[in-house]
Amino acid sequence: MTSAWLVATALVGLVASAAGAMAPLRVRVHISVTLTIAACASGFVMAAEVLHTGGVAVVHTTALLPLGGLSMVLDRFGALFVAVSAIVGICAMVFRLGYHGPGLSSRTASCTLPLFVTTLLLVPAASNVTTFLFLWELMAVTSLLLVLVDHRRRSEVASAGQWYAVMTQLGATALLVGLVLLATHTGSQSFAAIASRSAHLPAWVRDSAFVLAVVGFGSKAGMVPLHVWLPRAHPEAPGPVSALMSAAMVNLGIYGIVRVGDGLLGGGPAWWWLLVMALGALSALFGSLHSATSSDLKRLLAFSTTDNVGLMLLGIGASGLFASTGHRALSLVALVAALLHVVIHAVFKGSLFLSASSLQQATGTRDLDRMGGLLRRMPMTGAIFLIGGLAMAAMPMLCGFVSEWLLLQAMLHGLPSSDPALAVAMPIGVGALALTGGLTALTIVKAAGIGLLGQPRSEGAAEAHEVGLSMRLGAGTLATLCLVFGVAPFLVVPSVVDAARSVTRARISDPLVGGWQVGLGGVHGALAPGLLAVALVVAVTLAAGARRVLQRTPARRTQAWGSGRELQTATMEYTATSFGEPLTRVFEDVLRPAHDLDVSHVAESRYYVEVATFHTSLDDAFERHAYRPAAMGLGWWGALARRVPNGSIHRYLAFGLVALIVVLVVVG
Amino acid sequence: MRLTALLRRLRARPVALPPAEPGVPEIQEAARRNRGSLQLRHVDAGSCNGCELEIASIFSPVYDAERFGMRLEASPRHADGLLVTGPVTRNMAGPLRKTLDAVPRPSVVVALGDCARNCGVFRGAYGVEGAVADVVPVDLEIPGCPPDPEAIIAALRGLTGT
Repeated sequence: MTSAWLVATALVGLVASAAGAMAPLRVRVHISVTLTIAACASGFVMAAEVLHTGGVAVVHTTALLPLGGLSMVLDRFGALFVAVSAIVGICAMVFRLGYHGPGLSSRTASCTLPLFVTTLLLVPAASNVTTFLFLWELMAVTSLLLVLVDHRRRSEVASAGQWYAVMTQLGATALLVGLVLLATHTGSQSFAAIASRSAHLPAWVRDSAFVLAVVGFGSKAGMVPLHVWLPRAHPEAPGPVSALMSAAMVNLGIYGIVRVGDGLLGGGPAWWWLLVMALGALSALFGSLHSATSSDLKRLLAFSTTDNVGLMLLGIGASGLFASTGHRALSLVALVAALLHVVIHAVFKGSLFLSASSLQQATGTRDLDRMGGLLRRMPMTGAIFLIGGLAMAAMPMLCGFVSEWLLLQAMLHGLPSSDPALAVAMPIGVGALALTGGLTALTIVKAAGIGLLGQPRSEGAAEAHEVGLSMRLGAGTLATLCLVFGVAPFLVVPSVVDAARSVTRARISDPLVGGWQVGLGGVHGALAPGLLAVALVVAVTLAAGARRVLQRTPARRTQAWGSGRELQTATMEYTATSFGEPLTRVFEDVLRPAHDLDVSHVAESRYYVEVATFHTSLDDAFERHAYRPAAMGLGWWGALARRVPNGSIHRYLAFGLVALIVVLVVVG
Repeated sequence: MRLTALLRRLRARPVALPPAEPGVPEIQEAARRNRGSLQLRHVDAGSCNGCELEIASIFSPVYDAERFGMRLEASPRHADGLLVTGPVTRNMAGPLRKTLDAVPRPSVVVALGDCARNCGVFRGAYGVEGAVADVVPVDLEIPGCPPDPEAIIAALRGLTGT
């Protein structure tokens, strides 16, 4: 039965894509979006059935693809990711109905968007190397096309597209080499066969396959130092696409690392997982730091995606490290924390990206410095953004708290271990998580405080109106899920535990969930967010009541204090740039801020300023030290190579002769 | 006899000066409320800065007005009242009202110097709106052009109650 749903998902997705390509403009968007929602719904039903019953959806055919043919098997682990993609897909598509991005209604975009969503639903089901790489590349190409829809009007889009294309192709090459290495050495390209035979592979094959998988999947997930495309491409993509990329596509990078590391290779030596943890901690810190100092709303969110991917990698690394040192129970808890964070990150980042796109559409800018006063003008969208933001900052009662708490608990319980790797890695992991949490809180105070409160800082913000119903519905559903998962994590945690068990093949019977509680299997510690929520509501009600009773004189409302100025304008407010400035100063060595002050004087007297513009930009340390030198080196190499063929026929004939001699010498 | 004197001194506050002169009932009421602490936001409503010099000097080591509990405060939000100098110019009338609006209630307004009381030599000048009392309600006036530091301290001690 589940197999039928799998076929249905793929077919409906393809029909949606065809409809987007062929239907007339008047009905194009509605038809393709409706069919895409149907595909997502079918994918969700399939995933829910697999998660619930533990059955697998299987489709095999040798007809559609060369080499191994098309082979799809959806187990519980894959189903978790399908379910997440489906939820985000449905909400993004509902949002899409009201979204008027430039170029998004074109034939190309209407054709590729359903295809992109469908690949997001199908990649976790791929069960041989050919199918996986085919779907993976289809996902990369369709997302690239969708990033580029607005390339005619803005040059940044083309540049972002270039970065994305290069990074995603490099990653795909790494994946290709790694998976082919596994396939040739095990003699089969089916994932099940690789998994059963991988234990007997030589160590160098296993090691290189894992490192290549981390590089390939990590670049898709936005892991530092392969993140450079992410803060460019995610903001430039149209609203629903950026939500899909940040909330669903990066998850598949995490999926791949776990699938290869825990699934195909069945775990490995401690240094694999120390590598993953180190990259995770680096991503978390780097992402949160840049996100705290960024003043472009969508760039801020994109960097926060890097940050959250870092936390997931931290959990996966900790899980592998626990497994390799024999702590089976803790290993499962850490993996559950990481996978739970995948689900929860998808929910809150989806709502944040969608509501940020609403803000962008209403104000015409993504620059936080030009927003302000939007909570009053767009109460619903503002509330959605706030809920998503608080969930991102891991506030109790919201979903981010549950997964970060689990991750912290798992790592803290590794502290008393006598194993040197654990004793070094876990405190660093805990420290990275703590610092990241603080920076994330700062980020969201900035984004919400500067963007939503205060006075509007531009005409666009002053004239902003609440967006349409479908946009509010799409983003609001995800924000509601933030609340639901935060108060009642028992709705989702059992499925995550099943998914984690299915990939690690771990046999641990201790329940992670009991009634209202989320506990840790085999170790102490439990959390009951539902009770916490009830306690919080009671406490707030009591405090409000006590204040009402005890207050003798009613509060007097006056204007905000502005040094008694007659005119209080928005230019006097804090901006996102000025809010992040102290942090920029502290981390000057990493961020390398460049300030550019341009003052033009009045013609009559240079004592009067006519216009003063101030521009500040931050530099990416990895781009500065790795990518730009590499690009320059490649350019230099290309220039050198161009000198070799100078057009002289004699030289070309000499090349042929030399080549012939070399071949003869080598073969002979 | 000696013992009772000693006990009395032990009970009494350590003062270097005679106690503050009680003012009119409203000022006494304010002093009771302030309980020895008076935080003032200074507003220069158009002064020639003579009064400012005297205000600066009362917080100097010679007069050390802070021992009586009076301080100048940077924000009206943290202040018990305003210390206004100078005639109120047209440009400063609005800011003065806004500043008083920003002070938590109950608040006091002290008009310091002759200009603040009745515009002094600037009376009728083209840029002058009027005396402080014409713009905001005044609770305490300190005469003088400029008032002596002793006079300022004596008047403000009536407000602090110490």
